[in-house]
Amino acid sequence: MAQQRMALWAAEADLDEDVDLSLAIGNYGQNGHFEDAHIQQPQIDETAFVAMQQHMAQQAAFSQIPDVVKGFIVHFHQAVLDNNLAEITVAYESGWNKYTEKFYARTEWPEAEVIAPLVNDDPIFLILYRELYYRHVYSRLQPNVDDRFHSYENSCELFNYLLNSEGPVELQLPEQWLWDIIDEFIYQFQVFCTWRSKVKSKTDDELTMLAEGGPVSIVWSSYSVLNVLYSLIQKSRVNEYIVAQQEGKSQEEIAEIVGEYGQRPLYRMLGYFSIIGLLRVHVLLGDFTLALKVMDNVELNQKSPFTRVTACHVTTYYYVGFCYIMLRRYPDAIRTFVTVLNFIMRMRQYHTRSYQYDQISKTADRMYALFAVCNALSPSRLDDNIANISKERYGEQYAKMARGGEESLAAFEELFLYACPKFITANPPPYDDPAALANLISPPSPDSPTESAPAVTPTDPTHRHLGLFLADAEAQSPVPTLRSFLKLYTSLGAKKLANFLDADEEEMVQEMMVMKQVSRSVSRIAGSEKGGLLDGQTITTSDLNFVIDENMVHIAESTVGRRYAGWFIKNTERTQRIFDDLKSMPLPTPPKTITPVSAPLGQAQTTADAPKKGPRTGGQKVAWGGVKVA
Amino acid sequence: MSSNWITPSTRTELIEDLVSGVDRYNPSNVGILEDYLYHQIRSEEYDCLANLAILKLYQFNPDLYNPDVVINILIKSLTASPLPDFNLCISLLDERATNVNLDEPDPLPSLLPVLKGLHRLLYRCRFPAFWTTYRSNDLENLRDNYTVECIGFENSVREVVVRAVKAAFTQISTERLGSYLDINGIALETYVKTLGWTLNSSTGVIGIPPNPDNQIEATVVQEAITLPQLTRVISHAALKV
Repeated sequence: MAQQRMALWAAEADLDEDVDLSLAIGNYGQNGHFEDAHIQQPQIDETAFVAMQQHMAQQAAFSQIPDVVKGFIVHFHQAVLDNNLAEITVAYESGWNKYTEKFYARTEWPEAEVIAPLVNDDPIFLILYRELYYRHVYSRLQPNVDDRFHSYENSCELFNYLLNSEGPVELQLPEQWLWDIIDEFIYQFQVFCTWRSKVKSKTDDELTMLAEGGPVSIVWSSYSVLNVLYSLIQKSRVNEYIVAQQEGKSQEEIAEIVGEYGQRPLYRMLGYFSIIGLLRVHVLLGDFTLALKVMDNVELNQKSPFTRVTACHVTTYYYVGFCYIMLRRYPDAIRTFVTVLNFIMRMRQYHTRSYQYDQISKTADRMYALFAVCNALSPSRLDDNIANISKERYGEQYAKMARGGEESLAAFEELFLYACPKFITANPPPYDDPAALANLISPPSPDSPTESAPAVTPTDPTHRHLGLFLADAEAQSPVPTLRSFLKLYTSLGAKKLANFLDADEEEMVQEMMVMKQVSRSVSRIAGSEKGGLLDGQTITTSDLNFVIDENMVHIAESTVGRRYAGWFIKNTERTQRIFDDLKSMPLPTPPKTITPVSAPLGQAQTTADAPKKGPRTGGQKVAWGGVKVA
Repeated sequence: MSSNWITPSTRTELIEDLVSGVDRYNPSNVGILEDYLYHQIRSEEYDCLANLAILKLYQFNPDLYNPDVVINILIKSLTASPLPDFNLCISLLDERATNVNLDEPDPLPSLLPVLKGLHRLLYRCRFPAFWTTYRSNDLENLRDNYTVECIGFENSVREVVVRAVKAAFTQISTERLGSYLDINGIALETYVKTLGWTLNSSTGVIGIPPNPDNQIEATVVQEAITLPQLTRVISHAALKV
């Protein structure tokens, strides 16, 4: 195939209209070159026969579809044709889920080919339909190897349509769906890589497929995934859009800057979500600096219009916070988690009914775990409320981690493994090289006569990152004990301290340098939202400071005054809300059972409020719970 | 990370374009970045992000993999301690299947644990142990084939020591500092002098000038309330009027 090597990292995306994204990508970096000749042309009459059989099978399948589902699909299709965002949203957010629960909880939705007659074979709708179809397979069922390949092809078709049509497409989709498209694309990439890296559990068929070079080898390759994300970012000029917004440019100027694609919400949102997607992909691949670097233009705050999609907002903070952990910037990680955990708590009342609520609360739970980890490594008093919830959930582990020593490591490991992202390996095992593959499955035993070096047991990426993190945690594991001794003195001889600790004096002095080192951290300056996420200055993170004057340790402790004002502000706001709620409530009709008069005010209000706003009650309970401890 | 870490002043425009643009994924640029690494090694410069870009290309294009380059990157990143550079590099080293067909044996698998051990000693401020290990017979291969090429390697280890010592000490004995820096006598005196530290020759104690980290003071942190925190309370009150 006389195709030019495409400079796709430049991701100009002005590909020839008809180039299939899935084929254009990955021409470099892969050894496989594909030739049409490989694909055998089947006999004609056989094709006709197969087609007829398929047709009959499809008809049978078609008749199986319940009428309401047929109606739903027709309606859904019409909404997409009309670009009716409200109707699409309803169909997407509730219709699809409703019929999934009712008819397809344990089986696939009808295949796109089967429902095609309902939608006049509309290719765009069928792509969107397959997007949902495969997402359902991935989330509810077990995708087989064909599903994995086809879902990739379908994603490519979708992105091809969006990027390589003549000019921007007219299609409109709800923001939530756009996020889900990107999110799912990366999720499927991640599960594919994980699946691919497990050599031992493959069937022969799967092995043959994976061993095949050519087009197959670029399916879900890192380059192809990055290429899609970069193309969407560049086509939409979303980075330029964000910068222009920050500079306070007028609507007209912005329109000029972002061009015909960037003006459309569909492209702009996809562009933005792709930035977040890149953040995630880079983290999954273990590139924590690059992950933060792609976010250079994005301001992390709650005001940006991009925060409307909660799932995206939460994902962003989770991955940014995790990067900071791997950069040993625990204070930044803590601040990141606290911000978004407070956000989730405030938003909870609106989200209980969202189909994403589960996912969000799972991520939140992982962030509480990571918060506990960071707080153990770099104690802070940023937010008592979040700290209390974190201690409620991970109290046992937190106690171990904060105490330091050998036992702390098991707790660090447990929480890290629970809360870390699902790391992936960029490249497949050597499926195309049977010898190397066999070597991987059963490495030559060390006592075999082969001259090969001692077999290195392959570690998965998660354990590589875990090892690095644990080494850091271990380095500071003596600190809590040292600290507890230092807190008792204002000055103390090094020898005496070493005796207390039953340690060698020189060892202990070196330990002290570690302690000093970990009480400093690079951190973004509090309150400033300017500058990239990598920027920062060294700050002191510990309230206990010391210095060694030859052999004498001098200690000074900083104390934090009690935070009355913050407490009063929070509670004033709360009281104002309750007061407003009370005032806007209709006068109660005489109740059948009278509330006991002795009930405290807060509780009485809650009970009265309960039938109207169910989920909210929970939120207030937690908030009031915080008061006791504060 | 300081701005000099993100964009070292010694980084050329060409490299900046590679590090910050999408062209960093283009495998044909790996040579430029590798040359830049060797330039860093010869001229005592350091650019972590540019070196990570090499590892990224190796991650995506296993065919490009050059163990010597990886080892040199790791050696350069060792002396960035306590910054996480070494870990960031390791994070990008995907497990690779041992290539049976390689002409020469890959030196990385045997050197990786050694380098990790050195990093561990440096990060944990076990400076005397670092020097003992580094000078041991077992590490002859690393010294003779790699660190010897990296100009100023030992001095940059000493800079790690200096960073740790000046944060934790106001005064330190000559003997102790000597064991951390692995130098003594006249050489130590000269070194201390270039740092601007003072040596009291009668007591053998070295004084370290005050800096933000070795000045301690007990403080009480008071709460500071900013206007934005009060916006909601005030606007609510204003609404009522």
